[in-house]
Amino acid sequence: MNQPSKSVTKNVVIKNKTGLHARPAAVFVQVANKFDSEISVQKGKQKINGKSIMGVLMLAAGQGQEVIIVADGPDAEIAVKELEKILLSDDDEKKIR
Amino acid sequence: MKIMDFLSEKALCADLKATTKKEIIEELVSSLVDAQIIKDKSKLIKILLERESLGSTGIGQGVAIPHGKSESVKKLVAAFGLSKNGVNFDSLDGEPVYIFFLLVAPEDSAGPHLKALARISRLLKDKYFRDTLRSAKDEKMLAKIIKQEDSRK
Repeated sequence: MNQPSKSVTKNVVIKNKTGLHARPAAVFVQVANKFDSEISVQKGKQKINGKSIMGVLMLAAGQGQEVIIVADGPDAEIAVKELEKILLSDDDEKKIR
Repeated sequence: MKIMDFLSEKALCADLKATTKKEIIEELVSSLVDAQIIKDKSKLIKILLERESLGSTGIGQGVAIPHGKSESVKKLVAAFGLSKNGVNFDSLDGEPVYIFFLLVAPEDSAGPHLKALARISRLLKDKYFRDTLRSAKDEKMLAKIIKQEDSRK
């Protein structure tokens, strides 16, 4: 069954103690790439492609800072849900992998 | 934050000889030792390899950013190297890596580290810049290319 394409937006405050650094960024991008939806992440005025690790790293999003995830496409809802989970994880990353 | 704020001109290598991930890290760390930026070579190599074992820092597009924290540095330091033939680094995109940015941050310092990663990504996202870097014949040219781009963006 084809779901209609739609746009889902979610504001998320980064929980991870060291922020969205290389490892969580890699996880984020890997998950983002599973989805058909277009995904962008915005911090302040900067908006980047959520499927590009260099883009995600460019945000330099630290703990306590707010980013906006926007997904646009047939699986937008589930995409935002899963990506939010990654940003809200405050585990030591060693446990994630 | 500019690249040249944390990257010393003495820690550039235009022609890395290493052919494996371990050797690349050893060679880059050696350049930091030779430049008298760090002292504890073997400990730092161990830290960086441990970090790699958690997931490769090969972020794709021929770029890797091996990094780690060490109490032996007071501020963020970096080494830069080019491999002409490319090295298998278990990158996210499975491609060989030609451009290496090694970062060493002091313990308990998330901020500068994040900003450095952002700065490096901002510059290396540009394919033209990556190609220009890879065409550098020697360290002098490398320094010139990096400084030029650093002042532009």
